[in-house]
Amino acid sequence: MSRYRIPGKGRVDHGAPVSFTFDAKIYAGLRGDTVASALLANGVHLMGRSFKYHRPRGAVTAGSEEPNALIGTSRGKGRFEPNTRATVQELRAGLVAESQNKWPSLSFDLGAINDRAYMLFSAGFYYKTFMWPKSFWDKVYEPVIRGAAGLGKSPTEPDPDHYASRYLHTDVLIVGAGPAGIAAAMAAAQSGADVTLVDENPEMGGSLLSDPAVQIDGKSAWDWIDAQLGRLRAAGVRLMTRTTAIGYYHQNMVGLCQRLTDHLDSPPKGAPRERLWRVRARQVVLAQGALEKPLVFDGNDRPGVMLAGAAQTYLHKYGVRVGDTPAVVTSHDSAYHAAFDLADNGARVAAIIDTRDEVRPDLLDGARSRGIEVLAGHTVTTTTGRLRVKSVRAAAVRGGTVGGGRTVPCDCLLMCGGWTPSLHLFSHTRGSLVWDGGGQTFLPDRKTEEVEIAGAGRGLWGYDPVLADGAAAGLRALEGLGRVGHPAGFHVTNDRPGTGTSHAELPTDGNPGKARAFVDFQNDVTAKDIRLAVREGMRSIEHVKRYTTNGMATDQGKMSNINGLMIAADALGKAPPQVGLTTFRPPYTPTSFGAFCGYLRGETFQPTRKTPIDPWAEANGAVFEPVAQWLRAWYFPKPGEDMHEAVLRECKATRASLGIFDASTLGKIEVAGPDAVEFMNRLYTNPWTKLQPGRCRYGLLLGEDGFIRDDGVIGRLSPDLFHVTTTTGGAARVLTMMEDYLQTEWPDLDVWLTSTTEQWATVALNGPNALRMLQPLVQGVDWNDFPHMSCADCTVAGLPARLFRLSFTGEIGFEVNVPARHGLTLWTALMEAGRPYDICPYGTETMHVLRAEKGYIIVGQDTDGTVTPADAGLDWAIGKAKADFVGKRSLSRPDIVAKGRKQLVGLLTEDGSLLQEGAQIVLDPDQQTPMKMVGHVTSSYHSTMGHPIAMAVIEGGFDRMGETVFVPMPDGVRKAKITSTVFYDPDNTRLKA
Amino acid sequence: MTYEKHQFHASPILIEEIAPGLRLSLRVKPAHRATLARAMGLDLPSRVGARAAAHGAEALCLGPDEWLITAPEGAGLPKAARAVYSDAPHSLVDISDREITLRLSGPAAVDALTTCCPRDVAAMAVGTAARTVFDSATVIVWRDGPAEFRMDVWRSFAPHVRALLAQVETEFHAGL
Amino acid sequence: MLLIHCPYCDDTLPELEFTYAGEAHIARPADPSALSDAEWRDFLFIRTNARGPHYERWRHVGCGRFFNALRDTVSDRFLMTYKAGEARPDLNNPTLTREAAE
Repeated sequence: MSRYRIPGKGRVDHGAPVSFTFDAKIYAGLRGDTVASALLANGVHLMGRSFKYHRPRGAVTAGSEEPNALIGTSRGKGRFEPNTRATVQELRAGLVAESQNKWPSLSFDLGAINDRAYMLFSAGFYYKTFMWPKSFWDKVYEPVIRGAAGLGKSPTEPDPDHYASRYLHTDVLIVGAGPAGIAAAMAAAQSGADVTLVDENPEMGGSLLSDPAVQIDGKSAWDWIDAQLGRLRAAGVRLMTRTTAIGYYHQNMVGLCQRLTDHLDSPPKGAPRERLWRVRARQVVLAQGALEKPLVFDGNDRPGVMLAGAAQTYLHKYGVRVGDTPAVVTSHDSAYHAAFDLADNGARVAAIIDTRDEVRPDLLDGARSRGIEVLAGHTVTTTTGRLRVKSVRAAAVRGGTVGGGRTVPCDCLLMCGGWTPSLHLFSHTRGSLVWDGGGQTFLPDRKTEEVEIAGAGRGLWGYDPVLADGAAAGLRALEGLGRVGHPAGFHVTNDRPGTGTSHAELPTDGNPGKARAFVDFQNDVTAKDIRLAVREGMRSIEHVKRYTTNGMATDQGKMSNINGLMIAADALGKAPPQVGLTTFRPPYTPTSFGAFCGYLRGETFQPTRKTPIDPWAEANGAVFEPVAQWLRAWYFPKPGEDMHEAVLRECKATRASLGIFDASTLGKIEVAGPDAVEFMNRLYTNPWTKLQPGRCRYGLLLGEDGFIRDDGVIGRLSPDLFHVTTTTGGAARVLTMMEDYLQTEWPDLDVWLTSTTEQWATVALNGPNALRMLQPLVQGVDWNDFPHMSCADCTVAGLPARLFRLSFTGEIGFEVNVPARHGLTLWTALMEAGRPYDICPYGTETMHVLRAEKGYIIVGQDTDGTVTPADAGLDWAIGKAKADFVGKRSLSRPDIVAKGRKQLVGLLTEDGSLLQEGAQIVLDPDQQTPMKMVGHVTSSYHSTMGHPIAMAVIEGGFDRMGETVFVPMPDGVRKAKITSTVFYDPDNTRLKA
Repeated sequence: MTYEKHQFHASPILIEEIAPGLRLSLRVKPAHRATLARAMGLDLPSRVGARAAAHGAEALCLGPDEWLITAPEGAGLPKAARAVYSDAPHSLVDISDREITLRLSGPAAVDALTTCCPRDVAAMAVGTAARTVFDSATVIVWRDGPAEFRMDVWRSFAPHVRALLAQVETEFHAGL
Repeated sequence: MLLIHCPYCDDTLPELEFTYAGEAHIARPADPSALSDAEWRDFLFIRTNARGPHYERWRHVGCGRFFNALRDTVSDRFLMTYKAGEARPDLNNPTLTREAAE
């Protein structure tokens, strides 16, 4: 039995010991413990070092707001997690935990030298200390700061765990399953509404778990909880524990992070570690209670100094006495109950130091009957003890003057500076807060969402008013749903009502300049730092926060914000509401990246679209490249070939005989209806009226601004039916644009659009033998009337097909479309039929080279959204006789017709070297920097002609044919000659062959 | 014909790919809806999400002028529609191969869909359907029974959707 | 994540089913060639960038329809949505103001 564990007490399982290690030492705890409660049961208060001064620290809380006791936990390879709060991490068998911010050991830490030098490290020391000499920044300051910075050790391996996510739609979401939350759930569940009750802890019950002597409706607190949870379960209420509401977003969307396996000895195989819930609730009830405030005095951070409520929780939930001789310092009645409960469980309470002059008589009686001395009207001026508090100095305050003090020996010091309503989630909604002068705290004011706040979150204290308020909030939520319920009443005996007062720092007779009175424990911000910030000109609380780092620790100011505000307000000579609070932002508590990612990591990070022919490419050694969301076959290397060799072989084989290419990703849209041709005329630059059924035409699509948006070959299959193709990446965009015009500008037209991108698998055949090879496989085409730029519905290799004769290579070319399920069948049939012609499968890289040799552009590569048809040399695609089409008016805008626009030209390097795509172009390489850049390289490849080719946009390029320009690249400046973009077969003789 | 089945012992969810049939996208203006419905012998409901069935064919209203029609292979609907084209101009496009269809059934079917569908799937009435999103893929979810759904997924997105569902299945089998 | 009422589906649905499509009530001129360069520039590029109620367009993936919405850009709340082609609602309409206040 651990020294400080009280046999049989608490909600832990005394029959189930669990062993774990902390800093390589083995400890025994119990099932139901947290790491903190188990260490405290073993008398260990020292759990970590602070961030800046490396001061020894112990757990100050028993919950998720813990600023001090941060540990690293691990569970095998890849499962190390830093900055876990020891007060939240449940014990599991074999847990390995370690402390942080220490070297070489927790009890002897060299970094604590910072603590001796604390006068150097006051607020803003970064800005003041590291100013000069300038040369020191790179070599000295930054490396040292980087070495010292960072909280805990970052994991270095990929996280092997799974994370899950779900959407949940519920009528009423209640956050916090303490007395108010449970009462609200009871009220909301009574009319059959769908109710969800969540709590961040492993058990529901909230503060009642730490107050077992309270009786509700004749039952002990714990029996009452069990009974209510049973009734909620029976009513179908969704009860979720270990589930933190991390953020509250628009229209009652609340994010929940549910921890599923961190508490398990061995998680089931495949189980997700955490699950993120996106909850849409029609009504939300926030019943998150209140957070206890520390008091600010010299030495308030020594191990053994903790919140009184935390000590009460360790006692009742975990059966742990946090010390044998606790002293108490308080400004609120609630700490008396912690003192009484500890005294009743074997502790000798050294004294209760109350900052107030007047103490409620029943509390004084309770102290007297237990032999506890009460020092009313007293302050605490300092504490002693290096790794654990040894004594506290108490001094009387009379008329604002601190009188002579006395030393009270103790082994722990329990403090209570009052309670702050937990309104973080409410603040996420931009709900406003109002200052309550009586309670010296902020309360919820104007709401922006369908939300109720209940219980201690509204500043109420004592179980009787909190239960009634919870029930009323649940009822109001029900009424918000348009349902009715009956009000419930609760009868509470042994209630623990209380009031208190608030302080900035506690008064002291010591030198305030030397006081180490901490406000933000984790970031080592003292009261002195906040006053210094105000003296140095910070007026806004947001500036004070950033200058001092107060409230920027992982507890996000849960411990420090109100104390910081009280001190800043005092220093500014303003009332607290005039100074205001910094903004609370999600997440409420630190949340793992894994939870946010959910399923969207690894192979499901984003969709990877695949064509029906990809399995063949994968089986035949293709290398793939990402194109939009697709992974497309890039090239097909033979053994020993690099990319350059493979692409050159593929290019030459296609030019010499026959190449085959999977073009399935091309966007396809069916434009059908009596007004199809009118629609095409209005949308595309080209004229369509005279295009005969069975023929196709290159189509160019502009935005209204006159810039090229997309292009593709478009076939007219019947008077009322066009088969439009788009670029791979533009498919969805073009369809949306078409729908937009059709629905909102021309709803009178009888024409409809259907995406058929994935209906068809598309195989391109190119090369001088393409026609010869394909002809025997086709039925239903009159070859005497099927010239270049024709299309027909027919059969190919016995499959229903839509055949296009077109070319994106300059060779005789076809695109065969078959229903997607037949894509692979078609491909293998064509490979077989092509064998006599040494058919060569090629990928996107060869497709790019072959089209570039012919000067065919790729929208999005050779254009960038600022290129007009004229800039790209595509004037010929414009129906000059058409009165209007999308973008036509812009083609006469002053800046579009101005001289000096960048125009698409070809480039050949003088030394035959390859240019980099994206390289900038200058006219004079010897000019001063920054140079005047006149354009850039858009496409650049090795070619089948024995030298590289490139395309570029260059200012006034069409008028510079034959001129030499310069392309600065990392390894030197290249000279290049401006040419036509058509490098291969400029007369199109091969197409007519 | 593709038919694939993942079966686990006492599975909380069964995910199957079902064999393709005829799938047509019908677009017609509301004024001509009745003419076309009469010609095809298939009611075309006007409320988005509503379905009507006749002779093994089914029409789902996807938008004010858009219906998805499923029918056995070789059904005569296209021919019947073509016959009234001049009176009721429309577009009827064969999209049988555009999507694949998954059937999700079992006690965890609703929960499985809630992993990636932001819409309130549990609130969908049996006998309705909706075009929505599953993660970032556009899908059509059909509710055929309290714990029985179909999901039409664009073919190229199917590997992504199936990989997500495989993770979800693992989750249900782990019981957490 | 917002909830948006689709006027065609008559259903209030999660934002993930919708895409934003720019400011509303900017009709394409019937005869663009009749516009001066300045008028055409305004049609192309000049937008109100309202602080407060903003007429804008959205598209619903469910029914595929573009529709109009009046959204307060300060509170990020939808005051109303309506079908494409319907008249621009009057901001001084008391029903609207009441909805905005709620």
